[in-house]
Amino acid sequence: MIDLVYLDNAATTPLDGRVFESMLPHLGGCRGNPSSLHALGNAARDAVEGARASVAALIGAAPEEVVFSSGGTESDAIAVLGLARSAPSEKRHVVVSSVEHAAVREDTKRLEEEGFEVSWIGVDADGVVDLDEFAAALRPDTALAATIWANNEVGTVEPIRELASLCSEREIPFHSDAVQAAGRVPIDVSEVPVSTLAISGHKLYGPQGVGALYVRGGVSPEPIVYGGGQERGIRSGTQNVAGIVGLGAAAGLAREEMDERVAHERSLCDRILAGVEKIPDVILNGHRERRLTNNVHLRVSGVEAESLVLFLDSLGFAVGSGSACSSGGHKASPVLIAMGRSERDAFSVVRITVGKDNTVEEVDGFLQAFTVAVGQLRELSPLYAG
Amino acid sequence: MPDRYTPQVVDHLVRPRNAGEIPDPSGRGESGHAACGDIASFTVGISENVIEEVRYKVYGCAACIAAGSALSELVDGKRIVEAARVSKTDIEEALGGPLPAGKEHALTLVLDALHKAFEDHWNHAAGEMLLSGEKKPGNGGKSVVAAMSGGVDSAVTALLLKEAGYDVVAVTYRLHDGEKGSRSCCSPDTVLFARDTAHRMGLPHFTLNLKELFDRRVMQDFVGSYREGRTPNPCVACNAHVKFHASAFLADELGYHHVATGHYARVEQGPTLGRPVDESKDQSYVLWPVPQELLARTIFPLGEYRKTEVRAIAEERGLAVAYTPESQDICFIPDGNYRGFVRKQVEAEPGDVVDRGGKVLGRHAGVVDFTVGQRRRIGVSAPTPLYVTEVRPTTGQVVVGRKQDLEVREVAVRDLNLFLDAGEAASVQVRYNSRPVPCTVEETTDGEWIAYLDEPVVGVAPGQSAVFYTEDEARVVGGGVVARRAA
Repeated sequence: MIDLVYLDNAATTPLDGRVFESMLPHLGGCRGNPSSLHALGNAARDAVEGARASVAALIGAAPEEVVFSSGGTESDAIAVLGLARSAPSEKRHVVVSSVEHAAVREDTKRLEEEGFEVSWIGVDADGVVDLDEFAAALRPDTALAATIWANNEVGTVEPIRELASLCSEREIPFHSDAVQAAGRVPIDVSEVPVSTLAISGHKLYGPQGVGALYVRGGVSPEPIVYGGGQERGIRSGTQNVAGIVGLGAAAGLAREEMDERVAHERSLCDRILAGVEKIPDVILNGHRERRLTNNVHLRVSGVEAESLVLFLDSLGFAVGSGSACSSGGHKASPVLIAMGRSERDAFSVVRITVGKDNTVEEVDGFLQAFTVAVGQLRELSPLYAG
Repeated sequence: MPDRYTPQVVDHLVRPRNAGEIPDPSGRGESGHAACGDIASFTVGISENVIEEVRYKVYGCAACIAAGSALSELVDGKRIVEAARVSKTDIEEALGGPLPAGKEHALTLVLDALHKAFEDHWNHAAGEMLLSGEKKPGNGGKSVVAAMSGGVDSAVTALLLKEAGYDVVAVTYRLHDGEKGSRSCCSPDTVLFARDTAHRMGLPHFTLNLKELFDRRVMQDFVGSYREGRTPNPCVACNAHVKFHASAFLADELGYHHVATGHYARVEQGPTLGRPVDESKDQSYVLWPVPQELLARTIFPLGEYRKTEVRAIAEERGLAVAYTPESQDICFIPDGNYRGFVRKQVEAEPGDVVDRGGKVLGRHAGVVDFTVGQRRRIGVSAPTPLYVTEVRPTTGQVVVGRKQDLEVREVAVRDLNLFLDAGEAASVQVRYNSRPVPCTVEETTDGEWIAYLDEPVVGVAPGQSAVFYTEDEARVVGGGVVARRAA
């Protein structure tokens, strides 16, 4: 096992030991197909339906409104592509925030290629979607609107209740990617009129490769894969039973432990923020209050993201860079650019996301390492005169 | 290609060597841009052509930081010629193998920053030399500074010299801001490509910044010629004042004896210029202004080869330049629109189009739009085609006539550069890509030559080069600039 202090929980969370235990019976020996009629099939189906109820309970949904998928990206695709494509042919317009996860962003670009007109909705400097701009963008021919529940990079929590209400008043389907939010922010679809909502297993201490899509009763997105008609025909293909059971267990634990986790994570993040803000020119990105309680996203002037992440890695701390360096140079994060950051500032960021199992000692060790890494990289940087 | 960094990269990241900057460096170079996400800077302390101190700074990904650190270690304490030989491959080896996919630019970036620091050092060392075209005396040895543009001719030149046992240093000139692939952050593609080509041959490479000299002696002369009704030849002006002097400067600084270029010409007894094996590529005409003392130390390896052979050599040795297209036209006007270039810098004043008798035939927008021999865009209709026979900038007149009015039987030549005795001049060539015409030469009291041509020649324009050849047409006697005909 690699000995690292893990502070990159927005990328993926550790698998909870209790979740792991719940999955084991479905990984070995003769397992049934949930579609089979015999006893093994019945057992598998019972397991899947139990998980469905558990996921539904986490978000205030009815079990039959939950569709299992391979993860957040697929759930987003079913919702965004499927809802837009199933809209009446005269509705060729979509409204999407400019701070979406790559999944929704790329689905939307795909729709643009298919001939949909896209209104990208701007955000303020903290990454909060502009409600007025969003409302003004909604039109009679709008087929779909979407906004991420809580941003995966900077952690800003969006005014989803207001956005979803604006859409429901106009009978426009509204999708929200709640992959980061689920289990960290109370979500109740009986109060917030979203049409669809994406969830991922491995962001809430469940397994990778499994996710769910909430699909409100009466909403029917066009499938993106066709086959045996599983999951109400919305997502064909034999279910990943072990994964689904894990997701169900994780959702159940999240629901039971949410308050405790949030309190713990918040205290760790406050400690981190207090520590790093002692270093000059280290600034919090995203909204200070309206944010995920486990996310500290920082601009570190004069230090490039990747070098800082690898430096911290060499000191035993795993954090996220939040910006991908591609061939021939870097690509600045579209989220940070949408928030009005310069490209240079968008390259100088680091994302620290704590989890329920992190400790105060780990955070204190991190703060020491961070101070060393930033100091040394700044000494080397031609862009920092400290 | 690997998907992660080697332990060596991480080691350089966490313990960078030679970090920082020298307060009063011999040279300073920076490459990259914050908006691209990476910036590297190098400062070097150079004494007696040895890198006594090197410091670097990087804002950028781990690859850039590690590459800068490794490069600084590779060049620290080395002779500058050896440091200039360090290639991207050398840096990769020092880092324990190839960088992950998409990170190769780190190597280009740090190498470019170091080479810009060398360039800055040479500029300091040159002082006024690279501005004025003055030069210092040379040294001895089987060593050569070979000009390298990134094209096939100059690359094969360097290769042939290396294979002939010379110590070769390759040099690329920064001449103007219109280079192909120019951008704000790194050097233009032409410079990066030439550097790569040299390094792949195992040769040291330097870049010299001659922009100011080139602007003063070539580009301003080009514009001024049009303003004054002359037909400029910028390649001649560059050979006269820029390229050979700059190569000789670097050779002198490094203690190298020879300079070389990829011109198709020979250095013959005299020394003088001779025609090459491949007469269809003959460049002796544009080389006439090279001072004889520089010609004495010049090598033109391609004078012994045909162009097809040069391409074959490049292909055989796997030089990537083998497939690059022929460079054409004037390097600082890549779109070929000379008039547009001149017009941007010269205010054009309208004037009259007249015939030889002074009769006004029409109006024109400015003398800068015309050269002698021009047939198109005169703006006057006539039963027979009209040609520009003379441009008179002082009166703003453009004189036009019939084709036979362009014929001349005598040509006045000034600003002569002679390699051989005047008595040897038997013919004169007045245009690129034409044949010399037999002539007799008379020297005037003020040092000009009058060439009396045995047969009439069409379209001799003031400002063009007139190059005199020996009886057998194999060697250049000397050359000069066609003077304005007495009105």
